Amino acid sequence: MEMALFGDNGSGKTDAWRSYERVLLPPVRDLHRFDTYVGHGGYEALRAVLTREEWTPGKVIEATKASGLRGRGGAGFPTGLKWSFMPPVEPGKPRYIACNGDESEPGTFKDRQLMEYNPHLVFEGILIAAWAMQIDATYLYVRGEYADWIRHMESELAMLYDKGYAGKRILGTDFSSDIVIHKGAGAYICGEETSLLESVEGKRAYPRIKPPFPAQKGLWGCPTTVNNVETLACAPLIINRGAEWFAGVGAEKHPGPVLYGISGHVERPGVYEYPTGMLITDLIEKVAGGVRGGKKLKAIVPGGASVPVLRADMIEGVTMDAESLREAGSMMGTAGMLVMDEDTDMVKFLRRVTRFYHHESCGQCTPCREGTGWIENLVTRIDEGQGTLRDLDILLELCDQMEGRTVCALADAAAWPVRNTIQRFREEFEAKCRQSIYAVA
Amino acid sequence: MSDFIKHPVVSLPDRAPEPVFSKKELVFTEAEKEQIETFRAQYPTPESAVMKTLWLAQEKFGFLPPEVIRLAADTLGIPFSLAYGVATFYTQYYKAQQGKYVLDVCTCFSCQLCGGYDMVRYLEEKLDIREGETTEDGLFTIQGVECLGACGTAPMLQVTNGPYVHNLSREKLDALIDALKAGKKPPFVSVTLPQDEDDLGGNRRSDAEATEVGQTPPAAETFE
Ligand SMILES: Cc1cc2nc3c(=O)[nH]c(=O)nc-3n(C[C@H](O)[C@H](O)[C@H](O)COP(=O)(O)O)c2cc1C
Ligand code: SF4
Ligand code: FES
Repeated sequence: MEMALFGDNGSGKTDAWRSYERVLLPPVRDLHRFDTYVGHGGYEALRAVLTREEWTPGKVIEATKASGLRGRGGAGFPTGLKWSFMPPVEPGKPRYIACNGDESEPGTFKDRQLMEYNPHLVFEGILIAAWAMQIDATYLYVRGEYADWIRHMESELAMLYDKGYAGKRILGTDFSSDIVIHKGAGAYICGEETSLLESVEGKRAYPRIKPPFPAQKGLWGCPTTVNNVETLACAPLIINRGAEWFAGVGAEKHPGPVLYGISGHVERPGVYEYPTGMLITDLIEKVAGGVRGGKKLKAIVPGGASVPVLRADMIEGVTMDAESLREAGSMMGTAGMLVMDEDTDMVKFLRRVTRFYHHESCGQCTPCREGTGWIENLVTRIDEGQGTLRDLDILLELCDQMEGRTVCALADAAAWPVRNTIQRFREEFEAKCRQSIYAVA
Repeated sequence: MSDFIKHPVVSLPDRAPEPVFSKKELVFTEAEKEQIETFRAQYPTPESAVMKTLWLAQEKFGFLPPEVIRLAADTLGIPFSLAYGVATFYTQYYKAQQGKYVLDVCTCFSCQLCGGYDMVRYLEEKLDIREGETTEDGLFTIQGVECLGACGTAPMLQVTNGPYVHNLSREKLDALIDALKAGKKPPFVSVTLPQDEDDLGGNRRSDAEATEVGQTPPAAETFE
């Protein structure tokens, strides 16, 4: 789209991010409307892939691979590679995309901004991916709580159908592909890709055992690709500006624009669009206005509740990309960053996080169903001054028994914060145990 | 023994309680049936339309007792057990009658640290009920819920699976309760992106019913 001339989108370690010009949420009034979007070059990327000879489906996948785009849903899997896992087209066998707008990871609120301010970028991305993988229908799964945003998107989608940009014979070409919005009804687990598929099929959303992976057996047993909303919103940018451009934005091995959702104890919380690879310290100090009330930073969680917490002394020089965060001992996750100031009680914080996983475990696997419950019990006991030092070891042992032993990654996601919060703030947990009525046990 | 060990008591639901709705009430109008047909047409199997149909049923009846779930199942031509299974898996489907306005206050993660529980406690005091309960006049239910995806405007709440209310404070809750008592549901609020404040001088959506800017969150006083 020719909305904004691009500045120097260099590495986050310099101050170049200051001149960054937004592309996912460019500053255009009423961009959420079909007419405005088209008026600013919207759907040109779709037109290009559908009408220009050079954009064969294979070429679109190649470009996506070359762009270096990695999934924005949490796992950071290379998107082009994922698309190439789809088996060859088989007559009579439909193919699907499940676009993941479940967004229930605590601390994550960025997909909703795309739905609110630039839904057509998402639709265009879906349709480009649909062309690349020759998809018959896309189910856009949006969490049930986003009822207002679903309503808004439904009316924009209806407009899209009216104007011939979705559905039968898109833009007068031979290509047809549908988009259906599926409304969830409140279950964190539906964000897990196979659980999401079950939910779209109209079932209780129990995750499936993999393999088979969705590309082999997805929706209704047919080939399916699951991608996050923000991931697919990057597709039009790659077509319009080129894979090379995309690969040149932000961090080398984890490139592109990204929506950082900053919440917690900062002066100016909110969703900010910047390149990947921003210094965490810059995001807190320069972007979000610093820690609230001039307090000292205690810890951050860089990408949603599931990723390991980092102490303030662990973030010096760490940038927001998979590589740097892995070295620092955490993960990029959803880039929804929670900032905690010096007054934060880490035991109380962990207690609430464990309650979340206990509540959201689907109950299919014993280690997860029972483990999340016992973890919550133990952390609660410690917080209420009834814990023993031994409880800390039992907690870590419980984590060992949960990780890698279940159908889906929720059990791991529940265990990581426990393991890391205890390891990284052990004194705080020990102090509570020592004050406990059972301190000698 | 310390009281933390609360053995989970799983009470099995009564799947054939006295029906709340009479046979006469248990019908979909022609328009609703048509709507359900369009849901069916969106999926290869009728089972898949069950979530949307249950949503429609809940909007009509307010909650989903077994007889309403059966009506939804029968309309779609799918087994009752399937629809019942779905209705009981997802938290937003109400299995029991709720207050006219359900106040879903987020107490998770960011909201916990920014006063989500303070808001719950304040509402409890104000409405004289506990979390999970409904006021005697049937107007309000308070629920503490998990992250609603609006962590940047913590603390926040949602009114009956509908509009979000951001940047909560005690004064804002007072105003909200007064408005709801007068039958006024809050409008859709478009929260201005911080970068839009800088680049566009405010909210970008000219059709937004109401707008708000992000605020520095308060410090939480209670954490559970
Ligand atoms: C417990 C759990 C919850 C998840 N929740 C979400 C979610 O809310 N949104 C999302 O996009 N991905 C979520 N994911 C990741 C998805 O399984 C999947 O990796 C992702 O949607 C793939 O899209 P991407 O490759 O574009 O990132 C979750 C994963 C797990 C294990
Ligand atoms: S790990 Fe937990 S959430 Fe995932 S399938 Fe097993 S029980 Fe369900
Ligand atoms: S933590 Fe409350 S909305 Fe996310």
